[in-house]
Amino acid sequence: MAERTVSSARERHFGPTTLVLLTLPLVVLGGVIWLFLTTGGGLDLIPPAPVEALTIERTILKPGQIEVVVRNAGPDELQIAQVIINNAVWPFTVSPGPAIPRLQTAVVHLDYAWSYGEAYAIRMFSTNAIPFDVEIPVAFVTPEPDSKTFLSFTLIGLYVGVIPVYLGLFWFPALRQLGRRAMVFLLALTAGLLVFLGLDTLAEALELAAAVPGSFQSIGLIGIGVVATFFLLDAISRRQTETGRSEAAQRLSVAYMIAIGIGLHNLGEGLAIGAAFNVGEIALGAFLVVGFIIQNITEGLGIIAPVLRDRPGLGHLALMGLIGGAPAIIGSWIGGFSPSPTLAVLFLAIGTGAVFEVVYEIARLIQKDTARESMPLTVFSGIVSGMLLLWVTGLLIK
Amino acid sequence: MKKVSRRDFLKAGGLTLLGTAGAAALGQAARTVQAAPPAQNGHNHEDAMAMAVGEVNHARNGFNPTDILTDFNYGTVSTLEDGRTLREYEITTINKEIEVVPGIVYPAWTFNGRIPGPTIRCTEGDLIRIHFHNGSTHPHSLHFHGVHPAAMDGVPGTPGMIGPGESFTYEFDAEPFGVHLYHCHAAPLARHIAKGLYGAFIIDPPGGRPPVDHELVMVMSGFDVDFDDENDFYAVNAIPFHYQLHPVQIRVGETVRIHLVNILEFDLINSFHLHANFFHYYPTGTSLTPAEFTDTIMQTQAQRGILEFSYRYPGLYMFHAHNTEFAELGWTGNFEVLP
Repeated sequence: MAERTVSSARERHFGPTTLVLLTLPLVVLGGVIWLFLTTGGGLDLIPPAPVEALTIERTILKPGQIEVVVRNAGPDELQIAQVIINNAVWPFTVSPGPAIPRLQTAVVHLDYAWSYGEAYAIRMFSTNAIPFDVEIPVAFVTPEPDSKTFLSFTLIGLYVGVIPVYLGLFWFPALRQLGRRAMVFLLALTAGLLVFLGLDTLAEALELAAAVPGSFQSIGLIGIGVVATFFLLDAISRRQTETGRSEAAQRLSVAYMIAIGIGLHNLGEGLAIGAAFNVGEIALGAFLVVGFIIQNITEGLGIIAPVLRDRPGLGHLALMGLIGGAPAIIGSWIGGFSPSPTLAVLFLAIGTGAVFEVVYEIARLIQKDTARESMPLTVFSGIVSGMLLLWVTGLLIK
Repeated sequence: MKKVSRRDFLKAGGLTLLGTAGAAALGQAARTVQAAPPAQNGHNHEDAMAMAVGEVNHARNGFNPTDILTDFNYGTVSTLEDGRTLREYEITTINKEIEVVPGIVYPAWTFNGRIPGPTIRCTEGDLIRIHFHNGSTHPHSLHFHGVHPAAMDGVPGTPGMIGPGESFTYEFDAEPFGVHLYHCHAAPLARHIAKGLYGAFIIDPPGGRPPVDHELVMVMSGFDVDFDDENDFYAVNAIPFHYQLHPVQIRVGETVRIHLVNILEFDLINSFHLHANFFHYYPTGTSLTPAEFTDTIMQTQAQRGILEFSYRYPGLYMFHAHNTEFAELGWTGNFEVLP
């Protein structure tokens, strides 16, 4: 309130006085910080033991060699003094150098004749005798970004993302025959699917956040990713609505939004699969791929739900399928070749924001329909069915 | 392990020395050293073996395991009125930062600034007086394995358990002959031992054991550097891999006697295995007749014994715990048998 009084009393005028008034608190702040740093501010802040943190970014296995990419997530420089692998002190080198500056990465290199399929536990001792552990649950040569592994990651993305989404799109002609109530049910079902996917993506982001160096504030990063994506997509869709296009065009843009949201979700899924493949946690057997296909076929269904009463054309359908499915391929490349927990958390947060924004869009579409004819049970059963559908198909994967 | 040629070994040793010198110059105490241990040059997997990177700064530690091998403290000797020999020793507990593994400094508790503490040596029947000073920040004591009155036992509730800044003199007759040990008996006992408060206590039989060319003392222990009550590193005479970097040199046919003591905390047993050879074993050293002719013996904590052997062929021969895990975590060394 006071702010308004001041601005109305005087003309808005940015003069030297304003500049001084703006910078004065900053100058005083600088003084306080200086005073605190030089005197300690009366607090005895010397820690009894040094605080050190080392996060493991990834492990790379080559024939006869193991490399561990580490990041110093602590407040000070960190040095690795010794490395123990499976209860043997082992010679190692660190590049670029043994001293790892704050937030920098380094590669710990071991010449070690590891065996295919066996498990390894690596313990790195810092010079302050703080142990940092890495586990290699199943040892096998880490896929290099060559054409062969590139192709196999592409295939994984294709099976998990593109094919099921397109399969879902093939329901289009059949579902067009449905009445309004059934279409609302399908929209609600899609919303249910997306709520489930959104929660799933968020959970994955939170789970991965644990592996991110503390100074990168992964939870805050998730918040930024979710909120920014949500409001960005919201702004885009509002702008399209405001341009006064036909309802059909609006429904089409919602369908595209759904495709984008699902695409971002599938990017996260691809990341997870690529990274898991990389560390050998996943034996991407036929069974698992089948599970993903069954679950993701519902995603294709979700994309077409808003445009069932329109004639979007084959080109639109193909493009939406690509937007929804192809990111799984890109995700598996990133996850497979340069898994970075921080990046993955960010992608997953973006996916969460996108998915929830799309739920919001669908809710608005449903509202338009239910304004003409109330059908609360249809909406309820649609949403719950959507969530249950993914939960049940998820049982096949998890 | 493949046989290592002497030239390979020297090359590795030279690299280590060079690295250590460089690191010492930086005041970084071997942290930055990328030393090549014996048989660890290049990328030959068949030659690869467990080894620490770098070498500890022995000068800063204030002791060198190579010297400890043959450092016997006979005390200040005088003769009592009744003709008996009196031996007096000075032992002080000191809190000391010790680089137990290259690059890792451990806040140790020591007797006279070294781990293991001084090897106290005397002859059966001597009168022993140990002037013990607590220069540390915790209560400590000396508890000797031997025969003595309860008041000299150094356990809680006896006068030998002294606080910081205090002193006490333990006095008892040296008996029975054999290889024994001493350690602090303050509570919590496991931590007081694991921190480094132990040493060998050798009582020779009257007239001594038969003479040999080399008499060595080896105290087996470990270090729990991250305080999780599990050993992270193992060694004889405190520093892991020391005798792998600096083999114990003997000659073909020379007789060797090892006074071996196990004071390893946390783990149930320890062992000693000699490569390409057999030794006579005298459990606790209390007999002059060997009990066993073998190449591997097992000791639980505070068990000890005497090993006697000589080598027939020149070369580099390993000795290590045959708890393989301990061996690869530091309890490994070499005898270099010269022609």
